[in-house]
Amino acid sequence: MRRQGLLWLNAICALFPATVLASATAEGRVELPKSHSAPVQAKRYEIVTKAGVLSTQPPLAVVYLDGSFPQPASLPTKEVAQKDLTFIPAILPIQLGTKVEFPNLDDAYHNIFSYSPAKRFDLGRYRPDERPIPTQVFDKPGLVILRCDIHEHMRGLILVLNTPYFVMTDTNGHFRLNGLPAGHYTLKAWIDSRTTREKPVELKSGQTLHVDFP
Amino acid sequence: MKLHTFSLCLFACTACAFDIDDSLDRLDSALTLSAFQDNLRARLSGTLDLEIYHFEQPAPGLINSDIDTLFNPRLTLFLDAQIGSQIYFFAQSRLDRGFDPSDHGAQVRLDEYALRVTPWEDGRLTVQVGKFATVVGNWVPRHLSWENPFINAPLVYENVTPIQDKSAPLSPLDFIYGPFYYEKYAFNPVIWGPSYASGVSVSGRLGKFDYAVEMKNASLSSRPESWNVTEQGFDNPTFSGRVGFRPNEAWNFGLSASEGPYFRQEAEPTLPAGRDIDDYREFVLGQDASFAWRHLQVWVEFYEARFQVPRVGNADTFAYYIEAKYKFTPQFFGALRWNQQLFGDISNGYGQNVRWAEDLGRIDIAAAYRFTPHTQLKLQYGFQHETTGPGDDNHLLAAQFTIRF
Repeated sequence: MRRQGLLWLNAICALFPATVLASATAEGRVELPKSHSAPVQAKRYEIVTKAGVLSTQPPLAVVYLDGSFPQPASLPTKEVAQKDLTFIPAILPIQLGTKVEFPNLDDAYHNIFSYSPAKRFDLGRYRPDERPIPTQVFDKPGLVILRCDIHEHMRGLILVLNTPYFVMTDTNGHFRLNGLPAGHYTLKAWIDSRTTREKPVELKSGQTLHVDFP
Repeated sequence: MKLHTFSLCLFACTACAFDIDDSLDRLDSALTLSAFQDNLRARLSGTLDLEIYHFEQPAPGLINSDIDTLFNPRLTLFLDAQIGSQIYFFAQSRLDRGFDPSDHGAQVRLDEYALRVTPWEDGRLTVQVGKFATVVGNWVPRHLSWENPFINAPLVYENVTPIQDKSAPLSPLDFIYGPFYYEKYAFNPVIWGPSYASGVSVSGRLGKFDYAVEMKNASLSSRPESWNVTEQGFDNPTFSGRVGFRPNEAWNFGLSASEGPYFRQEAEPTLPAGRDIDDYREFVLGQDASFAWRHLQVWVEFYEARFQVPRVGNADTFAYYIEAKYKFTPQFFGALRWNQQLFGDISNGYGQNVRWAEDLGRIDIAAAYRFTPHTQLKLQYGFQHETTGPGDDNHLLAAQFTIRF
């Protein structure tokens, strides 16, 4: 009876794609830095100012599997919006070659730019209702710091990664990275522009590996 | 070959600048503090400007120097504080050689400080008290070194006229020819820079319109010393206002007006018998417009001003400028500005009408390169030509390196 059950299981497994069968999982926790100070908007020379305060974005980390992986034929378009004078999301990890849209959801101009070596661009000033929405393709790995030429306090980050395997932590630093290929790799945790922690890992099919970055 | 060398220098500066850029970002974070569950937030920031001017004598605009090549460093510190969601405070302090470029020694000033209350979230009403820039016109939001496409101000904000605020002219001829005999710093422009006078303002937005009115202790033409409330009280206030119309984010139109006495207290003994400071006023009407889209920004301002001058009558002048800035690349922009000021006629006391100052035009051209989001180099050339009278010319060459933190 037990032998018959195993045969059935083998037959069912044969119907699943090999990648699913081979997938591994890594989970754990990244020690995040303490919260940033709340941003302050300089309103000195604005005749009209609104009340209210800027939202504070908690620090987050990006965990990714470093290695050499084939580039997919197409990648979904991602988005970094400008709303309430902040970038949403404040940090966006993307795969190399991804196109990112920058919609302006405020009723004021923004002027998004980056002088980062990984991507240098300046979108200029554009209205919220303008179509097409300005986009950029990020074709060099590295950290791209987004700023606004009009609102000095605005900062956003795009982390361009040469891997399809990445995930953001939650605000407590917990992460879970599914669908990883089996093998020997390096798991990295990007924490800020100066801090990236890494650990060599051996991933096995169907197993969950626990990795912490203290 | 020169272009190649210049490109290499730019590359070297850029490479060096990126090393300190991350540090400046971290300094920015370190200088931002919050307390009481983020209900009190404060940020200290600033700029360090290193400027070099080369010009012919007499020095153009408000530059006050007997030497032709002037080095003018300036450290500016800003404090911005948000208290709750409705109260905002800011201050600006400077260490430099004078409010305007000069060959004098170092001085420290508190140029601006103001407390702003915005009771409603939609910004329909804002009340501000302190010492702060005028609400008139559209130049103020870009008057600081980082935002200004040029190194100096438009002509109307710095061209010294025969108007004096410390003493009244003895006669029309003394008024017209006074600038040839007295030091330049005895005279005033139509609007002295951003006019950081002391007072109170009320402003807000109603749909596509915005408004701002202010009561200040000194007129738009008043010198920086007069802006301090300890120097000049509110006995003879100036009232100014601006109404703006913004049909969309790209366009902004404004009408401004200002009215107030322009003499300082020490001028009282020099006024005609039975007259006082309140009898001699500066009237300014202004029209401004701006357009911005993608990498292009254009501004224009027109000003008609009238000074009531003792023993002379009304002295009228008209000044305007058109200014454009275009970003050619993410880090390189160019700017062009055409300025002109025309003067009306007054009676010279001998039955003839004469122009009370020489008409002049000035073209400014500037180029700037931002090495990083914190460092910028600007170069400017200005050519000024008197279109009446002796037709004097003046060439100005200027460079400004700014570090923002």
